[in-house]
Amino acid sequence: MAAGEKIKAKIKKNLPVRGPQAPTIKELMQWYCLNTNTHGCRRIVVSRGRLRRLLWILFTLTAVALIFWQCALLISSFYTVSVSIKVHFQKLDFPAVTICNINPYRYSAVRDLLADLEKETRGTLKTLYGFSEITSRKRREAESWSSAREGTGSKFLNLIPLLAFDKGETSKARDFRTGRKRKVSGRIIHKASDVMHVHESKEVVGFQLCSNDTSSCAVYTFSSGVNAIREWYKLHYMNIMAQVSPEKKINMSYSAEELLVTCFFDGESCDARNFTRFHHPMYGNCYTFNNGQNETILSTSMGGSEYGLQVILYINEEEYNPFLVSSTGAKVIVHRQDEYPFIEDVGTEIETAMATSIGMHLTESFKLSEPYSKCTEDWSDVLITNIYNATYSLQICLHSCFQAKMVEKCGCAQFSQPLPRGANYCNYQQHPNWMYCYYELHQDFVREELGCQALCKEACSFKEWTLTTSLAQWPSEVSEKWLLSVLTWDQGQIKKKLNKTDLAKLLIFYKDLNQRSIVESPANSIEMLLSNIGGQLGLWMSCSVVCVIEIVEVFLVDSLSIVARHQWRKAKEWWARRQAPPWPEAPPSPQGRDNLGLDIDDDLPTFTSALCLPPAPAAQVPGTPPPRYNTLRLERDFPSQLADTEVPAES
Amino acid sequence: MKGDKREEPEPGPEPAAPPPPTEEEEALLEFHHSYRELFQFFCNNTTIHGAIRLVCSQHNRMKTAFWAVLWLCTFGMMYWQFGLLFGEYFSYPVSLNINLNSEKLVFPAVTVCTLNPYRYTEIKEELEELDRITEQTLFDLYKYNSSNTLVAHARGRRDLRESLPHPLQRLPVPAPPHAASRVRRSGSSLRDNNPQVNRKDWKIGFQLCNQNKSDCFYQTYSSGVDAVREWYRFHYINILSRRQDTSPSLEEDALGKFIFACRFNQASCNEANYSHFHHPMYGNCYTFNDKNSSNLWMSSISGVNNGLSLTLRTEQNDFIPLLSTVTGARVMVHGQDEPAFMDDGGFNLRPGMETSISMSKEAVARLGGDYGDCTKNGSDVPVENLYGTKYTQQVCIHSCFQVNMIRECGCAYIFYPPPRGVEFCDYRKHNSWGYCYYKLQDAFSSDRLGCFTKCRKPCSVTTYKLSAGYSRWPSVTSQDWVFKMLSRQNNYTIKNKRDGVAKLNIFFKELNYKTNSESPSVTTVTLLSNLGSQWSLWFGSSVLSVVEVAELIFDLLAITFLMLLRRFQSQYWSPGRGRRGAQEVASTPASSLPSRFCPHPASPSSSPPGPATSLALSAPPPAYATLGPRLAPSGSTEASSSAHTPGEP
Repeated sequence: MAAGEKIKAKIKKNLPVRGPQAPTIKELMQWYCLNTNTHGCRRIVVSRGRLRRLLWILFTLTAVALIFWQCALLISSFYTVSVSIKVHFQKLDFPAVTICNINPYRYSAVRDLLADLEKETRGTLKTLYGFSEITSRKRREAESWSSAREGTGSKFLNLIPLLAFDKGETSKARDFRTGRKRKVSGRIIHKASDVMHVHESKEVVGFQLCSNDTSSCAVYTFSSGVNAIREWYKLHYMNIMAQVSPEKKINMSYSAEELLVTCFFDGESCDARNFTRFHHPMYGNCYTFNNGQNETILSTSMGGSEYGLQVILYINEEEYNPFLVSSTGAKVIVHRQDEYPFIEDVGTEIETAMATSIGMHLTESFKLSEPYSKCTEDWSDVLITNIYNATYSLQICLHSCFQAKMVEKCGCAQFSQPLPRGANYCNYQQHPNWMYCYYELHQDFVREELGCQALCKEACSFKEWTLTTSLAQWPSEVSEKWLLSVLTWDQGQIKKKLNKTDLAKLLIFYKDLNQRSIVESPANSIEMLLSNIGGQLGLWMSCSVVCVIEIVEVFLVDSLSIVARHQWRKAKEWWARRQAPPWPEAPPSPQGRDNLGLDIDDDLPTFTSALCLPPAPAAQVPGTPPPRYNTLRLERDFPSQLADTEVPAES
Repeated sequence: MKGDKREEPEPGPEPAAPPPPTEEEEALLEFHHSYRELFQFFCNNTTIHGAIRLVCSQHNRMKTAFWAVLWLCTFGMMYWQFGLLFGEYFSYPVSLNINLNSEKLVFPAVTVCTLNPYRYTEIKEELEELDRITEQTLFDLYKYNSSNTLVAHARGRRDLRESLPHPLQRLPVPAPPHAASRVRRSGSSLRDNNPQVNRKDWKIGFQLCNQNKSDCFYQTYSSGVDAVREWYRFHYINILSRRQDTSPSLEEDALGKFIFACRFNQASCNEANYSHFHHPMYGNCYTFNDKNSSNLWMSSISGVNNGLSLTLRTEQNDFIPLLSTVTGARVMVHGQDEPAFMDDGGFNLRPGMETSISMSKEAVARLGGDYGDCTKNGSDVPVENLYGTKYTQQVCIHSCFQVNMIRECGCAYIFYPPPRGVEFCDYRKHNSWGYCYYKLQDAFSSDRLGCFTKCRKPCSVTTYKLSAGYSRWPSVTSQDWVFKMLSRQNNYTIKNKRDGVAKLNIFFKELNYKTNSESPSVTTVTLLSNLGSQWSLWFGSSVLSVVEVAELIFDLLAITFLMLLRRFQSQYWSPGRGRRGAQEVASTPASSLPSRFCPHPASPSSSPPGPATSLALSAPPPAYATLGPRLAPSGSTEASSSAHTPGEP
């Protein structure tokens, strides 16, 4: 206790806490202005003449405003980036190359599964377009199939009938052509029953999808029957394939030995073992070259077509599904080893009987993440679960998001994307109306009403291969004969003689070994910002950080303490007044009250000394308190009156 | 910070301030009484470093000299640095920014053309004569016997050939330009003994002459195919310009006849999505998603399923045989409000193929004004925009050529839009326009017309990089039903199968797009910061210090003026001043006030400070005592200050 007191006393003695030097704010200001190093302030006090002072106040305020404005500009432009482009010449890693046949499964293998669908499609074609003319071999097959499956009814058409609408008839039908879906109306004619001759091009074809309780339906129309049939077929195809096990699907598709006839890389021979299988729901078995398995990534030592990947692909056009795919060829995509190949979206097609040369040029981009831009390094700050086994990309995020919404809204997963955990693919045995749900959802997705585009951010770093494609006839007329026979002999397992149109040659190579990197870096650093702010402070007012501290001290700490002291004194006064006289002279004039306060002012010095406030501000006699605090009004009135009286006298 | 200062004087009334309030009222503007006083005041109160030492240390000459040297050195250093900084700023350097954005993109406009301007059957009568002569020429020059019976027919009437000007002829390689007639003669004589001539020594061309045949030259080609095509094209332009006004737009129903199927984003297109125009070389062109379409297509996801997919007719049945040597269709991707220059940025589609074109967008934004030579909207380019679309460099160059063509040749080139009231070139009306055109073309490509310098780059350019992949379409297994269906629905003649159709997919490869933009690398803010840094480093002074110096100079002038005035008054005016002046002279010494300057217009002349001011010199001016009185007659102060300020600087 005693020790505590002692320390307290010592601190009080050695480090006295005094109030501000000036007793009033006005004096404080004057003191500050005379002593500060900031330019302009001193002149306010020192200058003679009211106009001069006013001008100096204006100058100083302008300088302060300019400083604030310029510093705000500096700070707001702090998060900008500068970009540097570097070109390296080095040995480049070869990217992963994924090659798919456009046709997913050998038609002979899947025909059993799709027989009913094919029959009905042909039936629809016949009824809608009167198309029955097929080659003799196919007709025989078709007849055999149709005879075998005579008993089964047209279950696909019953589920989702293909309809033809007369466009010219009503204005409502015109709406269908725009592709916008709308509620079904009674005007829809069911063409499945009677043969309709679609000679007029005024007619559109489409199908109708309904929700669970068939209360709301949507009609999808197509300006061309080709598209309508293909879409319709695809819907049913997805239903059927969704029920097939993955192993069976892999077996039905092409094997690596079948697809790849020859392979050369960097001047050395390679074969099917260098390719990794990757099963794509819509493209069947795809094969990825150099996907980084065994932790080895191949690289090329030279640019040019000789040192890239050269493959000859076997595209068996006979085995193509006639309704699912209408073009022939292969698809190829160049991607990073840990990236998912979105072959259906961005693949490059390769033509049969042609040599396609694809020259690559590598560009790497690195962006700065928050707060410079909204991009993400990995999945950590994206609220969507990754259903692909690959690194982050915007495309993966969007597809994952859509699939998640699909499972959430429709109860099942869409066929062309991977399965999320605990969900299974849609088919109309279990989810009879998933298609309506899917189309609705897709419309919402495209119109950005699902919020996927807002949730997914772009990736911060990506590699991009710019491709240049050129084509040449292959094989040439003179080399065709020997080349085809040699290849037929090589490809032992194909029992037929190879045709020119069954083959496609593909060359993928680096055009040069220059790698372009676009790297963002912060344009401003903290040092630059500070020096710029310092420059501004110095330019306008010759101010510094010490000045700023001074300003804070004077204008915040000292002024506040003066005001607080003043208020405290007032409160004290008021309290004392309330205590002392009970209520005899309650209604006296304001002057009386002021006088009363003046009397009580005697207490004040003791109080201030108790507060360790400066005992004698401005060296005044403690006994006589300055009367200015309480008789403000009186005294202020007085000089102003004086001034008033004087001004007219002067003028 | 200054705000509370202004409020402060309220609670603090007239305090017991250190300077005694001898003067109850401060004047609006006070001046020092002498230069010395003024300098003393300045030296005491200035904030310019070094200057105090220089001006105010007058006791020591050595010191003054030293400080003068130092001051000059730093002054020089500072201005040298200032010069460097300003030099950098006024060279307007730019820094390149590359932004990688990823967002929903507006699908660009896609123009597809038939590559056949007119159905041959419809234009046959106009072209009949030209075709016959062309075939005759081909026979004469190359012994090419067209299966057409017209040849034999025309041979009988060889004189018809003379009806067309500028005949195609064979020329020896160093074609003597002056002896045109001899060349023609020798050409005709050599035509018969054709096989003996070494092919290398001959060129094919046609002659073009000016109005009065005084100057002629040969437009020659090394390949006969080029020559025939160019010659045919030249005549075709003339025929076309005659036909132009009457030609109706053909193939109204594009969705049925040329475009079999059209889908965007898995929804069918309709008439509102495309507009039609006719190009004299590329035929009927359909522009999808241009600025006239009701709502623009947006791509919110990349990939082939979310783009434009077209099935096109590429049948060649009624093509003009000598004009169109290519088959297929021509496609071009361009911005919404840019015209489609099929010549410049087109892409040919092969028939019987599915062409997938993947796009990626790239934008370039340049800084205009002082930072670079580009134009924001073309309004400041001295070339009239004949296209009525957004400014691009191509638009400008074509317009520039057309304007020159009209000025030099008096008629408009048919491939560019004409200004109002100008007709297209036709040698029946303007018989030497070919001569004029080829001369102009030569001048244009060597930039003697100044088109390339006049046409500045636009400040913002959006380009679409295209890359294509091909696959055969339709496949063998599906072609039966596809063709059948097309023939039933679209009146497609099934005869030539695969060559009659083509499929086109255009889609965004990625929604990331790169923006190359420029930004000034030295902005005004950084320039000011750098100036401030330099200034602080060398001088420690600020803008307010400059104002102080300005005030000093103003004071000096004012004092000089007042002194002169006083002297003038005391010499000439005081005897005749009368009662009032005498009163004031009498009163001023008594009131020992410093000299004051009243803002009233009459006061400088009427109220002289009087000679008594010298008395007050000894006492330091106590004027900077208080701020308080300033606010008391606030209304009058403001009024007087505002009355005075115009004269102040």
